[in-house]
Amino acid sequence: MPLGNLASLSHFLPELAVTATILLLVVAHVVGGNRQSAVPAILSLAGVGAALLLTALQASVPAKSLFEGMVALDGFAVFFKALTALATIVVVFLSMESEELAGRSQAEYYIFLLSVLLGMFLLSASTDIVMLYLSLELVSIPSYLLAGYLKGGGRSTEAATKYVVFGATASGVMIYGFSLLYGMTGSTHLGEIGRALAQGEATTPMFLAAVMVAVGFGYKIAAVPFHMWSPDVYEGAPTPITAFLSVGPKAAGFAVLVRFFYTVFATPDAASGAWVLSPGVDWTALFAVLSAVTMSVGNLIAVKQDNVKRLLAYSSIAHAGYMLMGFVLLSPAGIKAILFYLVVYLFMNLGAFYVVILVANRTRSEEIADYSGLGSRAPFAAVSLAIFLFALTGIPPFSGFIGKVYLFAEVINKGVYWLAVVAALNSVVSLYYYARIIKVMFLEDPKDKSEIAVPAFPRAVLCLLAIPTLVLGVYWEPVIRMAENSVKMIAF
Amino acid sequence: MEPILFMLFGAIAVGGAIMVVTRKHPMASALYLILTLFSVAALFVLRQAHFLAAIQVIVYAGAIVVLFIFVIMLINVPENRLPVERATVMRLLGVIAAGLLILETALLARRFAMPAAPAADSGSVQAVGRALFTDYLLAFEITSVLLLAAVIGAITLAKKKI
Amino acid sequence: MMEPSAYLLLSGILFGIGVAGVVARKNALIVIMSVEIMLNGVNVAFIAVGSHLGDPTGSVFAFMVMTVAAAEAAVGLAILIAIFRLKETVDITELSVLKW
Repeated sequence: MPLGNLASLSHFLPELAVTATILLLVVAHVVGGNRQSAVPAILSLAGVGAALLLTALQASVPAKSLFEGMVALDGFAVFFKALTALATIVVVFLSMESEELAGRSQAEYYIFLLSVLLGMFLLSASTDIVMLYLSLELVSIPSYLLAGYLKGGGRSTEAATKYVVFGATASGVMIYGFSLLYGMTGSTHLGEIGRALAQGEATTPMFLAAVMVAVGFGYKIAAVPFHMWSPDVYEGAPTPITAFLSVGPKAAGFAVLVRFFYTVFATPDAASGAWVLSPGVDWTALFAVLSAVTMSVGNLIAVKQDNVKRLLAYSSIAHAGYMLMGFVLLSPAGIKAILFYLVVYLFMNLGAFYVVILVANRTRSEEIADYSGLGSRAPFAAVSLAIFLFALTGIPPFSGFIGKVYLFAEVINKGVYWLAVVAALNSVVSLYYYARIIKVMFLEDPKDKSEIAVPAFPRAVLCLLAIPTLVLGVYWEPVIRMAENSVKMIAF
Repeated sequence: MEPILFMLFGAIAVGGAIMVVTRKHPMASALYLILTLFSVAALFVLRQAHFLAAIQVIVYAGAIVVLFIFVIMLINVPENRLPVERATVMRLLGVIAAGLLILETALLARRFAMPAAPAADSGSVQAVGRALFTDYLLAFEITSVLLLAAVIGAITLAKKKI
Repeated sequence: MMEPSAYLLLSGILFGIGVAGVVARKNALIVIMSVEIMLNGVNVAFIAVGSHLGDPTGSVFAFMVMTVAAAEAAVGLAILIAIFRLKETVDITELSVLKW
């Protein structure tokens, strides 16, 4: 039985903390004017930190349905709330360091960032398609604004234009799918829709609705063929935002993809713990192909890139493809593998982008050629970048390897060998372009020999990102256990 | 009575929509968009959704389209600098996609199994308001955050000087 | 009252016209207007189903779609103004700094 609106408030503290911070930022902007100051960044850090703590306190609360069934408070939601809050904190650090953003009050920037965070909180917890639609838009609309935040440069504004056109269309298609679902079942609650669909038999409208909804989600996680916006947006947006978009909204997109498809088109089997597909929509085959195509397209195009930001954009498409492997298996172990991979991916990807920002602050360039000799110019940054890139490739003993092992193990367990082979080949391709950056950094002579100083604070943040990347490669037990406990979803 | 009015307003809505996507000048499109929005509002009235019909006219036709018209006049692209639209693969694809979608829904609408339900008040201010402020209260509150972010964002991006 | 299937067909037609506009047009203003037509098509479906079921949820959903449409239009148009200041064009295929 879902809790009422008032009774739910006490279980809604992380979201309330984020909302309060957004309002405080508005006030701070009005009071402080447009002078450059660190106040908005510190305020955001405090607010998101508080939200993270409050989320941690929810970890042991038994699963509940809140606000008359609008959102769920379950292990799955808590996991993603913690993950996205953590990503946002790191991105605030990145933004404080980035010189693209320096020079004026960043209050609006942080207002958008925290609105996206609130959207991600709600998106991973939504159990009602009305709520799901709204929170998806709450993630998307401020993301358009963040992508276009650098008004002076044409690239950023063009990225935003492209993003808004693609985004609005994809969400339009998704909402049309929702209207079909509502028409077929007469309900907007995921659980009730699932039960109603489970009783009926296979129909074309059902399949069509599933495809249309998948367009909306596929767009959020940048799965092929809905990835077209992402390289341009990732290249044009301010680098901290690129880092943010490739981790936060992508994770939230996976959360909603898993929760939606599993609760609507499959029912858990009490005995084995595995999910059983509702008759009618065989989306696993569909998504297996999508996964293979996504990783291949991402990796093959990444090989040709000369711009690090663009390269990382395509590689993040490929990583979405790897994670989709866990999604198609209809097993808790597959979801567990996705959750674990997302944690690992957060550290390694944000770390890689952090180094890109530090280098670009000094060289004003994101071309791979300008990374030549980075090993002698900025040894600390270069070694950290090498760690992150090796982890992204999935080489032992780095954490990316363990993440991939879990994904591969599930695929092989279920006997989907062709997908495992495709993924293995893809990892080899990705080694080529990641190693290319490392080769340029350490083996090529620099054009400009001057040292790039990395101050103490960025050094500390880099350590904070590099240590988990290394440690999770040898000691991952606690995180995998956490992921295992977070697989439980309630649908109301 | 309903079938006749449905045919009438449905035809106007579709005609208006076709005009919106085929006009060269965006101002003409915006005016046809108003026509479509009004006839959709009329269709809402036919379905007893009186509240939504009012919102459609006030918010959609009254605010969103006015915003469009403001922007069209603000940026004021001269007639000869409007994008030249040529018959391209994309256009053909667009028409094919639209055709397929319409064909599909035509088939769907015929065999759409829908739960039978009692006749009840579904679209009055009272019914919608009650649903909005009980079951969907959280969603309603979240729209306020969404609109706040959109308002701040629109000002930030459209301002000349940052 | 009529069966909702006629309304669903109309909703599909409007949605399809909107999709055609988004895919085929180059003028960004008209592309955003086409998105509005898509959303109107969706709203027709919601209202038709809601009144058939005697359920205000259809109206609530359509209400949310309108709110989002307003926010999206405001943001989309603001971005268009910014791009027009930079490039003096509303042609989305002309955005060449980033390969389309």
